[in-house]
Amino acid sequence: MSENSNIGHLCADKQCEAGLTEHVAFRWLGSRGERMECTFGNLQRETARFANVLDGLGYKAGEVFFTFLPKVPEQFFAFLGSLKMRLITGTLFSNFGGDALLDRLGDCAARGIITRRSFLKKLRPIRDRLPALRHIIAVDVEENEEPGVLSYRSLMGKAAPSFVVPDTDPETPSVLHYSSGSTGKPKGVLHRHRSIGHQRRTAQEVLDLRPDDIYWCTADQGWVTGTSYGIIGPWSLGVTQIHHDGPYDAERWMQILSQEGVTVWYTAPTALRMLMREDDGLFRKFDLSKLRHVCSVGEPLNPEAIHWGRKVLGKEIHDTWWQTETGGIMISNRPGLPIRPGSMGKPVAGIEAAAVASDGTPVPDGQQGNLCLRPGWDSMFISYFNHEDVYRKKFHHGWYFTGDAARRDKDGYFWFVGRTDDVINTAGHLVSPFEVESALLEIDEIVESGVIAAPDDILFEKIVAFVALAKGCQWSTALELKVRMHVANRVSSIATPQEIVVIDSIPKNKSGKIMRRLLKARYTGTDPGDLSTLDA
Amino acid sequence: MSTMEKLAEIIRTVFDDDSVEIGSQTTAHDVDGWDSLSHINLILALESGFNIKFSQKELLTFKNVGDMHDSINAKIALRGDGVGKA
Repeated sequence: MSENSNIGHLCADKQCEAGLTEHVAFRWLGSRGERMECTFGNLQRETARFANVLDGLGYKAGEVFFTFLPKVPEQFFAFLGSLKMRLITGTLFSNFGGDALLDRLGDCAARGIITRRSFLKKLRPIRDRLPALRHIIAVDVEENEEPGVLSYRSLMGKAAPSFVVPDTDPETPSVLHYSSGSTGKPKGVLHRHRSIGHQRRTAQEVLDLRPDDIYWCTADQGWVTGTSYGIIGPWSLGVTQIHHDGPYDAERWMQILSQEGVTVWYTAPTALRMLMREDDGLFRKFDLSKLRHVCSVGEPLNPEAIHWGRKVLGKEIHDTWWQTETGGIMISNRPGLPIRPGSMGKPVAGIEAAAVASDGTPVPDGQQGNLCLRPGWDSMFISYFNHEDVYRKKFHHGWYFTGDAARRDKDGYFWFVGRTDDVINTAGHLVSPFEVESALLEIDEIVESGVIAAPDDILFEKIVAFVALAKGCQWSTALELKVRMHVANRVSSIATPQEIVVIDSIPKNKSGKIMRRLLKARYTGTDPGDLSTLDA
Repeated sequence: MSTMEKLAEIIRTVFDDDSVEIGSQTTAHDVDGWDSLSHINLILALESGFNIKFSQKELLTFKNVGDMHDSINAKIALRGDGVGKA
């Protein structure tokens, strides 16, 4: 009989079967100093209860369920419990605003969502526009306390602590993350239960996870790193994780690394660059001797960060490259591979990568090309939800085109060059210029908008918005604040423009498309190139 | 309206949450959505609302709302018009 491929089963039940029932699955560190441990036995029971809750509410395999929570224990119980039920399980970044939620929940006709009381204010105004949404469950309300909202505590209290996970074919759809493209609304990147094979292998080979490790992945579960390597990869290996519910704070982070005895740390270049600004004395206050391995993901890790890691932490920092669509690490620096600072590293075992021309022909070493992957790896996405046409366009000439440009050197190391589209990578998060432009146009004073990425020392790229104002409107501090708050509250804080430039009109081509290339040239003071298509 | 009342009102507006309780011990942890990016919006709103300017160095010293409150009051006192002071 073949093994059940269900991610929920493999991350919880299988670990108990392997004798890890009393082993700590995670230590949760709350924002007010709370500390709680959860064993794999607890994880098995709580995920089983949540699967029973969903079963009792009438959910069927293939329906879509979302978590919309910060990094709290219920996030993990709900995510794995929903997967045990074979629901398509999505996670939403807790800072998403109403527009971002409506786009995502509406596109996939989500049936249910688990959240907390303070987030209900974002869901109430859009609930009428989500006819498929049957249930809102809140982790911190009592039964009948909020109209139309179910109490997690009440439901879990009545649910049985055991659940037989149905045999799950590896091709069964599993995790859903929305990712921004350069045009249109965010697309739902759909994965399958088979992805766990690649996530487990790379957690071993790249993150170097071993049974007795204490592992901390700082990513939020609203993003793919937070699920692939903040839930699935490490727990499929029975490794203890640290989950900290709190924002970036240099001193607190060092305290966690030291006091919790973290051995493997997976974080982001933006965080590392912020740490680099701290006085070296901060790091001398903490004993980081247990820290064995450090990895980074999100955007390219600049050589300065690697040199800083060697000098201040006494560690190599291993950059890894992958994206929501790939589901797991594709190209990386890792144990046994000498680091070339600034390089993405080499493809991991079983992954064929190349820099290719648009006709699919690999370009010579040293030359820039489209970064492509040979399709077929376990964690490859299986669709863009409702956008099969867009999905198919990503695959041609026998390759998956990632949207990134790179070059390969003669020794097989890959070097990131940039995006081949207008998508903005800010602090490791992809932001669609279209999404920000749309939000800007909702403001009465703005008649045109164009959004670009500009280089930034900390964020890698920052969002710069060009706006043309309505007749009679004057730019002011009050209007700037209105604009920033509107984008932050309707889309997310991540999408908030770092700079806003007022211009007379946004350059467009003859078919009305925003010429972001010209906006970039204007911002950076570089040659705008060919202007023949500009609609004068 | 005291400085603390006005400060609380601005925080509620920036984070779009009328129900959040604000006191001198309140920190970013206590308010949903208060991250490093939305913090910039809050600083802009405070500067605009109180007609003051914070220095980069000052911003790094704020550990809670009480620190913000004290800094705002000090700036208002320096300005001499007393507007908005508790």
